[in-house]
Amino acid sequence: MEMNAKPVPYWQDWLKTLLLLAMGLYLGILIVTGNLSNYINERFQWLSYVAVLLFLLLGGWSALSLLRQQTTLNYAHARITPAALLLAAIPLLFGLLVPSRPLGVEAVTGGVSLNPVGRAAAAAAYTKPPLERNVLDWLREFAAVPAPAALDNEPVDVIGFVYREPDMTGTQFMLARFTMSCCVADAFAIGMPVEYAAAGELAEGAWVRIRGTLRAGLFEGQMVPIIQPQQVEPVDMPANPYLYS
Amino acid sequence: MQAEARPTATPALPDTRLPLRPLVYVLVGVFMVAAVLYGTLNTGQPPDVVLTIFSTRFLGIFIEAVPFLLLGTLTSGLIEAFIRPDDIVRLLPRNRVLATVVGAFLGIIFPVCECGVVPVVRRLFMKGLPVSVGITFLLAAPFMNPIVFASTYIAFGFSTIFIGRFILTATIAISIGLIFALTARTEEVLQPSSMMAGDGFDLLQPRRSLRQGLAMTITVAVGEFFEMGRYLVIGCLLAACMQTFIPQDALLEVGKNPVASVPVMLAIAFILSVCSTVDSFLALAFTVTFTTGSILAFLSFGPMVDIKSTLMFTGVFRRKTVLYLFLLALLMNLFAGVLINLSMGYF
Repeated sequence: MEMNAKPVPYWQDWLKTLLLLAMGLYLGILIVTGNLSNYINERFQWLSYVAVLLFLLLGGWSALSLLRQQTTLNYAHARITPAALLLAAIPLLFGLLVPSRPLGVEAVTGGVSLNPVGRAAAAAAYTKPPLERNVLDWLREFAAVPAPAALDNEPVDVIGFVYREPDMTGTQFMLARFTMSCCVADAFAIGMPVEYAAAGELAEGAWVRIRGTLRAGLFEGQMVPIIQPQQVEPVDMPANPYLYS
Repeated sequence: MQAEARPTATPALPDTRLPLRPLVYVLVGVFMVAAVLYGTLNTGQPPDVVLTIFSTRFLGIFIEAVPFLLLGTLTSGLIEAFIRPDDIVRLLPRNRVLATVVGAFLGIIFPVCECGVVPVVRRLFMKGLPVSVGITFLLAAPFMNPIVFASTYIAFGFSTIFIGRFILTATIAISIGLIFALTARTEEVLQPSSMMAGDGFDLLQPRRSLRQGLAMTITVAVGEFFEMGRYLVIGCLLAACMQTFIPQDALLEVGKNPVASVPVMLAIAFILSVCSTVDSFLALAFTVTFTTGSILAFLSFGPMVDIKSTLMFTGVFRRKTVLYLFLLALLMNLFAGVLINLSMGYF
């Protein structure tokens, strides 16, 4: 039982308490508004429920002790500097001051991958009929089949955003999606090339739904599944813009 | 309680904040300024877009990690409030080598993170725990505990990384413990203040009542949340900076090099000093661009030795021992990481 020489200032205890409560509240708001899915995989959202409960427990307890004038927060290494408090407030500042948005086309750095990603590997894709496959499913399927031409002429119906690699021609673009396996830390842009005469009319980053057929072809020296569209229509960004890998 | 009446029996750990604070803040400041400059010059995006992307990446890592930080601090509070050092000593085998091996897995029953473990180990040394056992426990416990198993599992699944982290941590922690068991004498290793106190009387604290204990648990947890939370925030800031501002090509160049990637990740682990309960989520940010061996080295080395734990070590061990611990852990992880990369065909 080490006791601190200097007592913790009262206002600092309150600031800590408010920070804890505010973080619980902030996470709660993210859950209620659905914005939480901008940040982490839906599969792990229950973890944020736990965090809300714990934040409110810690914050509520601290508030009660302070109201009862028991400044028990003053235990062991509980004394920290104002700078450290400011650091702890940084997530809240970002959360409140910067509008919450999922990663979009601007976040693509260093190009879009044409290869499937994620630990689930290719196995899951086989259960899906062609029209239900998303961009990730197609890439997995393509990686799993023995010959690239095996999927030729299969019908395609996929949604994604428009991205152009620097070396693409005016009739090409990439139908891209961000995949996520845990949270945006591992978010990764994947995509399928599209050959479309009116590609130039599509704005970078615009969400489109493409119906057409598949054809294996060379792109950047690699055999990839290329979409031959029959119909390209603009759509709203899906409620959940990430694909979970 | 007893300790108050005998202040010399449990002198406080030295204040590790003083040398650490300016160093960390200067590092973060320099890195942030450099990254923003580099980012605005290179990405060609308007500042508000860059800021939004940065914010999303930063909050993503933070939100995924913070439940584990909270669980970790609560556990630390529970141990502080309800577990007495002799509870741990009683569990160990008499044989020193066997005890050293068991020490690596003690964390499974007493889950402490890398920050919580230092005061616990110090109390155990004072209770007469063999040095080698304490060192193994110290190095392994930050990973060998259910909370960190859970966060590693959530981040990576039951994969090469998870299994590799387990094997690497256990092997290196036990090896270093055995090296100390065979070569070192207690008085050469420990600070005098950490050695067995004459009668150990102050350690036999009366057990707390449930109510008292729970109150203390939450109080400790609140303190630790702010103490440890800042390392998490700094870690998230740096990881988000790296992902937002540094082009993937540049990262891939270093990250896919089977040899160079390992020291880079070791340096990042040491500097970031992120709590072991959440380091998996930071490692995730590197999985696309860095080799498996370097990720494993990061996950094994970080919980053992980093800036903040090194500073805390100096309160327990003599300076020479701290240096040995640092070097042994560094070299073993470096060797292991490079070996893994070379034997896995650069992946």
